[in-house]
Amino acid sequence: MLKIIGRKTSSNVQKVLWACGEMGVPYDRQDAGLQFGVVNTADYIAMNPNKLVPTIIEDGFVLWESNSIVRYLAMKHGVGTLCPTDLQLRASAERWMDWQLTTLLRAISPMFHGLIRTPPEKRDAAAIARSRDEAEEKFGIMDSYLAKTTYIAGNDFTFGDIPLGIHAYRWFTFEGIERKDLKNLKRWYDLLCQRPAFREHIMIGLS
Amino acid sequence: MLKILGRKTSSNVQKVLWVADELGLEYERSDIGGPFGGNDTPDYLKRNPNGKVPTIIEDDGWVLWESNAITRYLAAKHGNGTLYPTDLRVRADAERWMDWQTNTVSPQMVGVFRGLVRTPPEKRDPGAIAAARDGLSKVMGIMDDHLSRNDYMAGKSFTVGDIPLGIAAWRWFRMPIEREDYPHLKRWSDLLAKRKPYQTHVMQPLE
Repeated sequence: MLKIIGRKTSSNVQKVLWACGEMGVPYDRQDAGLQFGVVNTADYIAMNPNKLVPTIIEDGFVLWESNSIVRYLAMKHGVGTLCPTDLQLRASAERWMDWQLTTLLRAISPMFHGLIRTPPEKRDAAAIARSRDEAEEKFGIMDSYLAKTTYIAGNDFTFGDIPLGIHAYRWFTFEGIERKDLKNLKRWYDLLCQRPAFREHIMIGLS
Repeated sequence: MLKILGRKTSSNVQKVLWVADELGLEYERSDIGGPFGGNDTPDYLKRNPNGKVPTIIEDDGWVLWESNAITRYLAAKHGNGTLYPTDLRVRADAERWMDWQTNTVSPQMVGVFRGLVRTPPEKRDPGAIAAARDGLSKVMGIMDDHLSRNDYMAGKSFTVGDIPLGIAAWRWFRMPIEREDYPHLKRWSDLLAKRKPYQTHVMQPLE
């Protein structure tokens, strides 16, 4: 059976859990990262020298990097659903996965770490405010695309929605922040909230 | 004809030029970004609201941005079985190294490259450059170890997985910095240096 190594509160592990949930792929998950450790052990580093979660093991095949794992599982189990067969649609979905890494994550990370993983007296309010502004601008880019399509890469849900959906949950769940009214983003987010796998793996609070 | 928008000194544009030449594609390139500007005009932002280069436009008017997604798209369309592995595990292996360039190598590379190549000497922050160099050396060490067991990043053949990192390696070997002895990285980099598209688009003075 597919083995997934990584704590379920990691946004990157959540991508893989959500994708497996969508496709009905069974797996065993083992906690690793942050309070669980494991990632600095020699055994783990031999599999994943980057020392982050998640890592998957499938019949001896080891893979890390969450977006690549999601694409791999979707190309194996979800061609025509999570992984579009049309090359332009697939590339469009993959573009949003890359954009989550290059752009959205960098914008929203300081805010997440500041508000969720830093005690109030140690927070850098200016850094959090800057991050909020940047995240809002990036969600605005998504909003402009979602004005034209139901999901981020067209009319159907694809793997392109997965990395973005996890950060949208965080954005809509932060307490005490201002949020510009991005109605297309909200419409899309509400659609995600109806998906059982999203409810199970993503809508679990922030920690 | 395929249009590629972006200045040729951008590492992200170089990915697309390199893959296009490997695949024997014809294209027209226009200078945009950096000293040329043009990436913040309404026309450009309409196609690419992220405001970065490269962007490609196909004959049917279809637009794609995010360099790694473009690289995979062109390879999937024109290089299935060569640059784009058909074996899903080999493909995932290659994709993993592309993601890793984006989220792990690039932040370190930017710290060294911008500091030494795009900042005048009197404005440089030597401490920040030294810290980024150390970080960059660690990730080059991960590649060196991986290449001690593999001819190319994803195994025995040259694939899309070599492209983003090949550009990073050129910069690593070319920048005026201290370098650890990474013999496997060097062997692989020498293999890349025999490829005509790499010579044309990547082995250029740094600017």
